[in-house]
Amino acid sequence: MSFVVAKGLTRNYDLSEPLIVRALTMRPKRILTAVDNVNFSIEKGTTYALVGESGSGKSTIAKMAVGLLKPSAGTLIMDGKNLNDPALARNEQLALRRRIQMVFQSPYASLNPRWRVGDIIAEPIKAFGLIDGTKAQFMRVSELLEQVGLASSDANKYPHEFSGGQRQRISIARALSSQPEVIVCDEPTSALDVSVQAQVLNLLKALQKEYALTYLFITHDLAVVSTMANKIGVLNKGKLVEEQSPTGLFSRPQQDYTKMLLNSAPSINFG
Amino acid sequence: MMNRFLDSDFFHDFLRAPVALISFCVVLILVLSAVFAQFIAPTNPFDPASLELMNGFTPPLEANMFTGEIFLLGTDDQGRDLFSAILYGLRISLFVGLMAVTLAMVLGVMLGLIAGYVGGWLDNLIMRLADIQMTFPSILIAMLIFGIARGLLPPELRYEMAITVLIISIGLSEWVPFARTVRGSTMVEKEKEYVAAARLIGLNRWQIMIRHILPNVLGPVLVIATITFALAIIAEATLSFLGVGAPPTEPSLGTLIRVGQDYLFSGEWWILLFPAVTLLALALAVNLLGDWLRDTLNPRLK
Repeated sequence: MSFVVAKGLTRNYDLSEPLIVRALTMRPKRILTAVDNVNFSIEKGTTYALVGESGSGKSTIAKMAVGLLKPSAGTLIMDGKNLNDPALARNEQLALRRRIQMVFQSPYASLNPRWRVGDIIAEPIKAFGLIDGTKAQFMRVSELLEQVGLASSDANKYPHEFSGGQRQRISIARALSSQPEVIVCDEPTSALDVSVQAQVLNLLKALQKEYALTYLFITHDLAVVSTMANKIGVLNKGKLVEEQSPTGLFSRPQQDYTKMLLNSAPSINFG
Repeated sequence: MMNRFLDSDFFHDFLRAPVALISFCVVLILVLSAVFAQFIAPTNPFDPASLELMNGFTPPLEANMFTGEIFLLGTDDQGRDLFSAILYGLRISLFVGLMAVTLAMVLGVMLGLIAGYVGGWLDNLIMRLADIQMTFPSILIAMLIFGIARGLLPPELRYEMAITVLIISIGLSEWVPFARTVRGSTMVEKEKEYVAAARLIGLNRWQIMIRHILPNVLGPVLVIATITFALAIIAEATLSFLGVGAPPTEPSLGTLIRVGQDYLFSGEWWILLFPAVTLLALALAVNLLGDWLRDTLNPRLK
């Protein structure tokens, strides 16, 4: 069985007016299905990319994967365990959460501006009780900072002293600090300029190789997908419309929606 | 640290704003003279044994017609040296103002954080309560709380507890602006991804509110605290003027003004004038400082 499996994953949002208004106007409930019966599976150590335009439900899937949102129906299974099992005790839930972490889209909003970088990276270590003792924690933070290409002395600085790309490295170090097996990357490069994008993607690739990390990669950027993904799922209005390998997707797109998506990507032709 | 402060934009702006500079100096002088009142004041006005009734109604810088003593700002009806009484009264006014603002701030910030972060019916409950309170003048609320508290206290404790009751009633009447501001900024902050990151590692609501959101919503709170401080000093003076605040044995500025008011038309103008001018200077300086802080710390006004 695959490492991460989504079965019939569905998420509804209730956009209805208050009950009293509906009773007076006789209008029915308005339910928006952001994610509709999505199935996919990810092998350990590989990258699965979800692509789609804004509003296609890809970020909703990311939030459900890490437990920020509960699915309305369906299940997410990691390493044979149901992530949203209501029968799980709080410490078991916490233990599962440790294994699946997230790198966020905005390098500006994802780091608390009032915290030193060292404290930001140490927080998951403390919260999960992974390492005891301030000194050992400090050593681990230094190690993580160096691993993502920053200096260990950067631990004493505040987030605003770093560039967007460096902040995203800090965000990656924080995600790594709880020693996860799955990292959900929610458009980690869309706020960065192109030259920095490549550096961050290369870092993610190197880390994947070293720790056999499994990535769920959310993006709308097809160039990013082609370098990162082993398998690509195309989302349209909450439904998974196509699933392909990168070469297959770019050479033989099956769906009209996928073709439209491929054609709408800007390309530069010289000559 | 000190060098960084002296180099900052904030300090630079401060030196270029004459209003802020003067206000700051006025507040500093008043606060220092209140803190060191026992070294500056020639007499202790709270000590009934030191009062000489014969000294009553001595005009400023004139010899008393019975005892021949001279007082810088004259004396009141009890023969109390007004200069000393103002310094000690200032101390009570500042203490009550500071404690009341602290109470209002702690209460308002906590309620605002909870309303903004938890939302739902709790948000509705807290904010509607705030709306209801806003429809009454805060001095009326303070008087109401003061009256209830006095009614609940046994009579022998009324004078002893007067200052505490005063602090609580002013504090409870001023929490609303803190709560509204903090609620607004909390609703903005809680949508940011660093809060999601904190939820990912299993932190509970309280840890997220106190450790992550609170430090990010405190900026405007300090400005409101300064302005509320001026309001609290005036509220204290008003309550004392109305005779429901500081007791006559430990007069605050408001009590002194009330006493002085009785003698204004019989020619003893100084009993009213000097405490009133001190109160005016203090409230005006704190208010101007608060206004300047608000304008300086608001990037949109730069």
